[in-house]
This record gives sequence, structure tokens and C-alpha cells, in this order.
Amino acid sequence: MLILTRKAGESLYVGDDIRITVLSMQGKQVKLGITLPKDMVVYREEVYRRVMEENRMALETNNEDLLVAAQLWHGVQK
Amino acid sequence: MARRTEIIEAETRLGKRQIDLDKVIVFPRGLMGFEDQHEFTLLKIRDDAPFLILQSMQDPGLGLLVGDPYTFLPEYCIKVGDAEQTLLKVTDADELAVLVTVSIPPGHPENTSLNLTGPILINHEARIGVQIPQADVNPPRVLLRLAPGAPGEEDGKEAQDGTGEKEDSGEETRQ
Repeated sequence: MLILTRKAGESLYVGDDIRITVLSMQGKQVKLGITLPKDMVVYREEVYRRVMEENRMALETNNEDLLVAAQLWHGVQK
Repeated sequence: MARRTEIIEAETRLGKRQIDLDKVIVFPRGLMGFEDQHEFTLLKIRDDAPFLILQSMQDPGLGLLVGDPYTFLPEYCIKVGDAEQTLLKVTDADELAVLVTVSIPPGHPENTSLNLTGPILINHEARIGVQIPQADVNPPRVLLRLAPGAPGEEDGKEAQDGTGEKEDSGEETRQ
């Protein structure tokens, strides 16, 4: 991992078009400003990991349970 | 985009199925944890079930259980960023369908739950799909409760993991 030290107000570039600025630090929190191309997205790591975990769980349902669940909730209408 | 109108027989999680290639959905970014999978289709488990299988066209074993969240949670709200709107090539909200992944604890189908953190948006006109993680405004999972005689009533839900995550979270502004 690359480790850099920055002060509030200072930035760094990742490649040519991603700029990360340290805006402020308060106690244990660091506020970052991120400028990036329109088609790029940023996620908090914990949210990203949770979604990965949920996807994995949705994959691991066994077919028997799945058929029972489909039966339990069949005919549910909006 | 030119549409294919071929129907093929393919091996899926639910066995051999006829798949209309016109109904294949392209996921330019894949799904989280499955970034290399770009083509999926939706399979019915049975005719009147609120759950479907989001089946990878590349890997027969890769089929995620998904469902329409609004069947159970009419108030479910999601945020779609500009980048994602561009990816989805969406011009009108009517083009979008929303699915969430569904999990079933092994052997306990009565404890089926909806995963609300990573909704999957599908532009059903352009046949493009994107999974969009939500900054924790929703409880991560909602357990579906069976009401006697009326399964999945609107209020048949219950936060399973009530951590709620208060810290910082929502604070995300674009300038």
C-alpha cells in the first residue's frame, strides 16, 4: 500500500482525472473531497462489502428452500 | 442496439431452461463480487412466486435469488447517482425496474429476507442492469414474516439487523 501524508486542504491525484482532497479533520474523522469522472462511482467499503456478502447469500440458497419459499409467498400481490 | 430474437436452451441453476436471448440483460459492471459476469437473464421459479432467479448466461451455477421489493415494502426508497443513470441509459423512470437480492437461511425458508443494501436496477427498455449500493438509509435486511392466511402483508416485515449505522453515513454531497 502506498502511504502518503497530507494536510487539510492538500490533495492528491490518482491518475490524471481523480483528485482526492483532505478537507478537514475532526477528532477521529477525516472529511475527503473526491473529484472524479462522471462515469465513476465511489462506495464506502463497508457498504460495498455488505452488498458482496448479500449477493453471495442470495446465491447460496439451496433449491429446496427456494421452492418452499416460493410456495410460502406465492400469489403475493402488490 | 440490435436485438437478438433467438431462443436457446441453456443449463441454469434451475436445470435446463429455454432462454429468449431478447430478454438477456447486460450488466456493464457485473454484480458486486461477480464483476466478470456481464449477461444475466431472469428465470421464474414458479408462475405466481414473488421471487425470481437472476441467472448468469456465462455460469450455469451462478443464479441469485431476487425479488421485487415493492411487493413487500411499498415505501422502499433508493438513490441513483448520475454515473449510474448514465450507465443505465435511462431517460424516463418508467423504464426502470428494481430488484433486491433475497436470502434464505439454510433449512429455514420461513426466515426469508430481503437485502436492501444493494438493489439491482434494470432498464427494461435498453436491457441494462446495474447494482447500486445504498448508503445505509435502509436497514440492511428485512425479514419477511408470514401473516396467517395472507402471506407477505405490507406490514409483514421486521428489521433483522437493527444496527442502523448512525455514524456519518448520509453525509455525501456533490459539489
